[in-house]
Amino acid sequence: MLWLKNVHLVDPGQGISDKASLLIKDGKVAKVCRGEKQLTEEEVLATLGVSELKEVSQVDGEGKFLFPGLVDVHVHFREPGQEDKEDINSGSRAAVRGGFTSVLAMANTQPVIDTRALVEFVRLQGERAGLARVYPVGAVTKGFQGRELTEMVDLQKGGAVAFSDDGLGIQSAETMRLALEYAKLTGCPLISHCEDNSLAGQGVMRKGEASARLGLKGIPASAESVMVARDALLAGETGGKVHIAHVSTKESVWIIRTAKKLGINISAEVNPHHLLLTDEDVQLTDTSYKVNPPLPNREDQEALLEGLLDGTLDMLATDHAPHTWEEKMRPFAEAPFGINGLEAALAALWQELVLKGKMKPEKLIELWSLNPAKRFALQGGSLKAGSPADMVLFDPKWREKITAESLESKAQNTPFLEKELQGFPIMVWVEGKLVMENRKIVGKK
Amino acid sequence: MRWRHKDLLDLDNLSAQEIELVLQSALSMKEVLFRPIKKLPTLRGKSIALMFYENSTRTRTSFETAAKILGADVTNFSVAQSSVNKGESLLDTAKTLQAMNIDLVIIRHACSGASEFLAKQLKAGVINGGDGQHAHPTQALLDFFTMKERWGEFKGKKVLIVGDILHSRVAHSNALGLKKLGAEVVLIGPPTLLPPEMSYLGVKTSYDLDSELPGADAVMALRLQLERQQSGLFPSLREYNRLYGLTREKIAKTGKDTIILHPGPLNRGVEISSDLADSVQSVIEEQVTNGVAVRMALIYLLIGGTSNVMA
Ligand SMILES: [Zn+2]
Repeated sequence: MLWLKNVHLVDPGQGISDKASLLIKDGKVAKVCRGEKQLTEEEVLATLGVSELKEVSQVDGEGKFLFPGLVDVHVHFREPGQEDKEDINSGSRAAVRGGFTSVLAMANTQPVIDTRALVEFVRLQGERAGLARVYPVGAVTKGFQGRELTEMVDLQKGGAVAFSDDGLGIQSAETMRLALEYAKLTGCPLISHCEDNSLAGQGVMRKGEASARLGLKGIPASAESVMVARDALLAGETGGKVHIAHVSTKESVWIIRTAKKLGINISAEVNPHHLLLTDEDVQLTDTSYKVNPPLPNREDQEALLEGLLDGTLDMLATDHAPHTWEEKMRPFAEAPFGINGLEAALAALWQELVLKGKMKPEKLIELWSLNPAKRFALQGGSLKAGSPADMVLFDPKWREKITAESLESKAQNTPFLEKELQGFPIMVWVEGKLVMENRKIVGKK
Repeated sequence: MRWRHKDLLDLDNLSAQEIELVLQSALSMKEVLFRPIKKLPTLRGKSIALMFYENSTRTRTSFETAAKILGADVTNFSVAQSSVNKGESLLDTAKTLQAMNIDLVIIRHACSGASEFLAKQLKAGVINGGDGQHAHPTQALLDFFTMKERWGEFKGKKVLIVGDILHSRVAHSNALGLKKLGAEVVLIGPPTLLPPEMSYLGVKTSYDLDSELPGADAVMALRLQLERQQSGLFPSLREYNRLYGLTREKIAKTGKDTIILHPGPLNRGVEISSDLADSVQSVIEEQVTNGVAVRMALIYLLIGGTSNVMA
């Protein structure tokens, strides 16, 4: 049992951004008391059904924000098969340290998550880690071959909440069309990694003056946008439910805006690194800037922020993609794509968007908790009475340097390495259980 | 003026004066090449490693000859061809070179930035012998040397670079350096091989060779990788040759005593006609000689210390 006092609760699901006190019982929010008025001891005891206050832990959150736990719909936990990069335990630790109480684990592991047994394995490993809620994403096609569909109904029964061949774009339009049709049996969204291989070619960064200057093969923006257009049209034609992963071009934003106007069932996410870094930041010998889709140009970046603010784009997601130091210590063209996101993403956006007045805290939480929970029909997203107590106590003044030693993730491939950021979670609860305190994971290793 | 760089990776961070210093040093080196006994004790006891991850007998031999004339010990590392997964990683190779106390590493690699990667890991100097589509500074410097021998100076000179600009590290390094030296550069090729982002170089670009020829003091043909046709980058050698192949008739339109350069090896009848390549206007063979002189100068500047070059 927990009594949280004097926090600034930001909960767009209830339309609250105000001083508040909360009572937590049996893993759920028992009461939210809004405004300056304090709960009396009697109210606390009565609500929690106990006789003495010493049975209740108390946290004074003066000067801190309380958010519903963040929901990240795009992480790569690499288990099974590539546990040298990350596993579900280390990934879960990184998640809660970063303020994420729910994550969707992508299916591009080895083997790919294309059977119910594998889906259940991922879910169980998440439960064993006992930190964040780990929701498996099932593959769309068997073996990621882009041809035969997986047994989506069975995968859903095993715990899959969405389907995706993320890591690869589904090259055949007909496969995508059929997948959108068949997934109706589950009601789950299809997450589309939009990348036309013939356009992306052997590219390693966004095509433009920066790629020409560095002599790196460029990926044109169209490699993403043409497939976004295709999938929007297919979702419209089939009435299927599509979610566009890691939108990174202004053309994709236009297409999604138009699609929504037409009533197409489409949602989309943006990765923090696409909002904070551009192709001009890429350096030949720092492969932590190598990511897919590649870092966009300034105009794209403005369109992405505008799209988030006007509701065209629905949510933020890290696309947490850990890789080992050895894999990243290669010439740019030979290093794998991916940015390690979970532990720096919130602070980086807080510092660069919220503190600079480009995004309100309320919007940030809508984008990273409420909207993803709604779209993927997950628990959490709001702290209404009766909801699970997935919560983040956030200290807007906390400053911390991102270092290899401090990261809970096995990997360190983040462009924010060795940079100091401001604004970090200091306490995190999942279903009322404290899992992170003072930037350290609580409980077993 | 003194040389202050550990490595030569790119022309980006060289000033015009530093480029001139290389060209000046190369002039004395070239004189050595015409002595009856072509051997100097200058770099006796210094060790140089050649690491060519891409085949290029011409460039490797040029470096090797330059190093040997200066008296250095040269080791050719045989490196597996473009093996990303098999074979040693570049990082491990760097550690090996460091442990062997090599003084200078010359690397050619298919990945842009490979030489910079090595340079960051090594105390030894590194010369970029060509990295991906990024840079080929020694080729550009030998081209400048060849032009300077003819012209004396670069101001007011017009240089056309013709062909596959997109994939050419030679074109990139040449354009960067010539701009610094004060020459006018025009990059010419079909739109598929001259994409708009080449604007980063800050020089004129054109799809039309004929209209740029008048007044050109030098025309450089780039080697066309014939397999680019299969990738759809140009329709046929026939059309490519008609539009961008250099011939005596076309070069006559410059109205000048234009010099013709080519980094080699030549595709005769494709980017350049045989009779033009073998004409008096062609400086292609001089480029090869000058390549050795310029590379001697660079090796000397990087690891020659205070020893007297002409001793
Ligand atoms: Zn993806």
